[in-house]
Amino acid sequence: MAELPQRQTDIGPPHYEQFLPPVIKKNYGKWIYHEELGPGYMVHVAESGDRVWTVRVASPRLLSTDTIKEICDIADKHCDGYLRFTTRNNIEFMVDDESKVEPLMKELKEKGYMIGGIGSRISNVVHTQGWVHCHSAATDASGIVKALMDELHEYFTSKDLQARVRLAVACCVNMCGAVHCSDIAIVGVHKTPPRIEHERLRNLCEIPSTVASCPTSAISPDPQKKSVKIKLEKCMYCGNCYSVCPSMPIADPKNDGVAIVVGGKVSNMRSHPMFSKLAIPWLPNNPPRWPEVVDAVRKILDAYIADARKHERVGEWIERIGWEKFFKLTNLEFKLQHVDDFTFARETWRMAATFKW
Amino acid sequence: MEREELKKIIYELVEKSMGKKKLKQSDILKKVSAEHGVDKGEVKAALRELMDAGKLIFTYFGGSYVEIPPKEE
Amino acid sequence: MGTKHKTPLLDDLEKGPFPSFVTEIKKAAEHSEYAQDLLGQLELSFKEKVTHWKHGGIVGVRGYGSGVIGRYSDVPEEFPGVAHFHTLRVNSPSGFFYSTKALREICEVWDKYGSGLTNMHGSTGDIILLGTKTENLEPVFAELSSRGWDLGGSGSAVRTPSCCVGQARCEWSNIDTMAITHDITHHYQDEMHRPAFPYKFKFKVAGCAIDCIASIARADMSIIGTWKGDIQIDQDEVKAYAAAGMDIQKEIVELCPTGCMSWDGSELKINNEDCNRCMHCIAKMAKALRPGPEKGATILLGSKAPIVTGALMSWVIVPFMKMEPPYEEFYDLVDRIWEWWDEYGKNRERIGELIERLGFPRFLKEVGIEPHPAMVKEPRRDPFFFWSEEDIEK
Ligand code: HEM
Ligand code: HEM
Ligand code: HEM
Ligand code: SF4
Ligand code: SF4
Ligand code: SF4
Ligand code: SF4
Repeated sequence: MAELPQRQTDIGPPHYEQFLPPVIKKNYGKWIYHEELGPGYMVHVAESGDRVWTVRVASPRLLSTDTIKEICDIADKHCDGYLRFTTRNNIEFMVDDESKVEPLMKELKEKGYMIGGIGSRISNVVHTQGWVHCHSAATDASGIVKALMDELHEYFTSKDLQARVRLAVACCVNMCGAVHCSDIAIVGVHKTPPRIEHERLRNLCEIPSTVASCPTSAISPDPQKKSVKIKLEKCMYCGNCYSVCPSMPIADPKNDGVAIVVGGKVSNMRSHPMFSKLAIPWLPNNPPRWPEVVDAVRKILDAYIADARKHERVGEWIERIGWEKFFKLTNLEFKLQHVDDFTFARETWRMAATFKW
Repeated sequence: MEREELKKIIYELVEKSMGKKKLKQSDILKKVSAEHGVDKGEVKAALRELMDAGKLIFTYFGGSYVEIPPKEE
Repeated sequence: MGTKHKTPLLDDLEKGPFPSFVTEIKKAAEHSEYAQDLLGQLELSFKEKVTHWKHGGIVGVRGYGSGVIGRYSDVPEEFPGVAHFHTLRVNSPSGFFYSTKALREICEVWDKYGSGLTNMHGSTGDIILLGTKTENLEPVFAELSSRGWDLGGSGSAVRTPSCCVGQARCEWSNIDTMAITHDITHHYQDEMHRPAFPYKFKFKVAGCAIDCIASIARADMSIIGTWKGDIQIDQDEVKAYAAAGMDIQKEIVELCPTGCMSWDGSELKINNEDCNRCMHCIAKMAKALRPGPEKGATILLGSKAPIVTGALMSWVIVPFMKMEPPYEEFYDLVDRIWEWWDEYGKNRERIGELIERLGFPRFLKEVGIEPHPAMVKEPRRDPFFFWSEEDIEK
């Protein structure tokens, strides 16, 4: 094998300054306002009078080096060799002159890139690894995102909503990413307890830490088998024990599925940040397109579009109308699983005699 | 204390607990520093030398631990 | 080259307008056996509705306990190309700006040693290089680090800090998010690469309360820019918004959560004492309103996803801190918090959970932070509080 270069440690990431387009570098910290000029492009204006136009396109997050090189070609041709990514997996191309916007957008469209995601609409979906790379996944993430966005793409590229609607997908209850604070989110869930492989467990897992991993104290040592046992009625299928002890697999293709949670937000705008709350406890995994899940999201979104006021986020809308009305407007069934019996349960019970019929 | 001696103490501590209890970096710093009256920073520096030499490695089982690397097959 | 697998289920996801991750894997499969077998294994997962990945906790690069996520296939005979499929987390530059030259360089290394597949970016903010063999980890690290790139955090360590675009291209940013993030990342290299904590620790930096980086939901320490002093109003621009059709009364004044604004058709007034700096009016009238003059950040602590005992959002621990280099006050605070966490934290206990277990008042006292009404939504409802020696008359 060829000689490798000298490795270095603890050098940290390269300084961001070398990656800033000249117009950004020059006006750093001196921006005075911006305007949204369309669903996928905006202009920022600096004190100096300089402007930067940004064109935003969607990416599937999972990118081949081939596509990255193609993006680089576009940035070389139109943007002096610079570009950036957003937190929500979009790609942003920036130019310093209005005349450069047209040709850039033209080429992006020709190459099939989807322009949009800025303003009061649906931006790209924050999501996790799923079956592409994770051991813990109760569902896939990329597949659901693709199916969902094929259905909702108009809200990325053109149609307006009352406010931003932020979607997220997490493939298990670990919820890597901000799923627990999204307008509408999908999270993979198990419905059955883990199975204990006693033979393997003995050699592979530390019993005290496996016992300690369970948030509901469902696991206790089983000295006879030199293993552990689970009190089934206490298990809430979180999979935490499997993460600590691989000999307690929890994946169950017939019963794994997804839950839908709604009404979360992270912005402090107007109302405080909110957690997402349970709308649908379980829908089946139906790859490749998860039709039940896509339908359910559509239903919730349609109710929001029909009833929310301008600037109202999903969570603000539901808070105004009340959850009882939310279930009515969306036609979703209210089940036993919706009533909280976990850590913050008592905060969620209605301690008042006032509610809507 | 000599660096080499400190390294030996750390290595033996990890060796002894292999298969019984996984040690975290901070378990080692706390224990060695308390039992031998050396500054935690020094223990950390010695541990780092062991790591850089590949004598000890970090492993990950839901949390990060310090262990002896598995034998090459 | 390896085997070409039939993938009818995945093929369906190449249709439709949204960019397809399947197409991306197929592009890579043109030149990578990893990607070919990834397609095969993923098709199997789609068919059987179950993941085919196994844990693999003992791979890494020498001296580091971070930056590599080990993965093995549980069907390696069928898909040898992904028998090992380890991921590297490469620390992204603050703000996710890149030169094409830098991106091409990374691609070149990854085409040579890995699957040719990436995530731009992982949810934590790293460049994710998705899938390679154990023996390729050191070469990739040597190639990347010699070109100025380092690995990010994983395990019980500081995770790769990340931030919103901030002052690079946002007029609302009260702090230099990119500079702060860069500084924190470099300050804590050891804590990032050699895991020494009870569990992970994440920093995220947002320039204002809109929080485009979702710091309040997913950082153990959230640094959110804010200001003191009056919102700056350009009355002419306010009138221009009104003239352009904005209903200022309805869309701005009535949606102000604190009811501190008024509009008489020609002048917008704000009672700044009552403003809680929620950003609504500023965001809706970007040309007319700007944040107040004295800039700093609110520091919040503790957010985490529902595992293990329920989700937390970060809550206020320092209402206002100037965030200017060399950030001494900030680092001093972080070090005190970590010391306390190191002392009392159980394995896999996040800082937020530890504070819940031992009590927020005890945290404040032992870490040396003065209580302030900004830290709570309301005071306690019960009379079960404690006093210490010095509060008692002898
Ligand atoms: C006995 C073996 C293992 C146990 C008990 C275990 C347990 C866990 C637990 C509890 C977590 C969550 C910790 C956290 O969020 O920081 C976790 C995360 C993770 N595990 Fe495992 N694991 C094991 C083996 C493996 C293996 C073999 C791999 C990879 C091939 C792996 C990859 C990961 C990854 C990538 C994460 C997330 C890491 C992060 O975000 O820091 N684990 N594991
Ligand atoms: C017991 C708890 C947890 C376990 C077992 C766990 C496990 C994992 C694993 C295995 C991965 C790697 C996925 C892959 O690349 O294969 C991962 C990634 C990640 N985790 Fe976790 N995790 C846990 C909790 C959390 C929590 C509480 C958060 C955040 C609040 C979080 C945030 C992340 C993020 C941001 C990623 C990167 C995901 C991506 O970009 O796809 N994790 N985690
Ligand atoms: C050591 C603990 C407590 C003591 C000594 C105590 C004492 C009292 C007393 C003397 C009253 C007035 C009764 C009356 O004459 O009407 C009262 C009322 C009340 N207490 Fe407590 N209390 C205690 C704890 C609590 C706690 C923990 C709660 C609730 C979380 C609570 C809720 C109430 C309520 C709701 C009332 C009725 C107030 C009303 O009239 O609206 N108390 N308590
Ligand atoms: S959400 Fe769960 S399944 Fe998905 S990447 Fe994170 S740990 Fe893995
Ligand atoms: S799945 Fe969760 S609740 Fe059930 S035994 Fe495992 S850790 Fe406990
Ligand atoms: S968080 Fe605030 S400052 Fe940062 S990019 Fe978003 S709006 Fe701008
Ligand atoms: S920032 Fe929010 S609270 Fe302050 S004046 Fe504007 S709308 Fe009202």
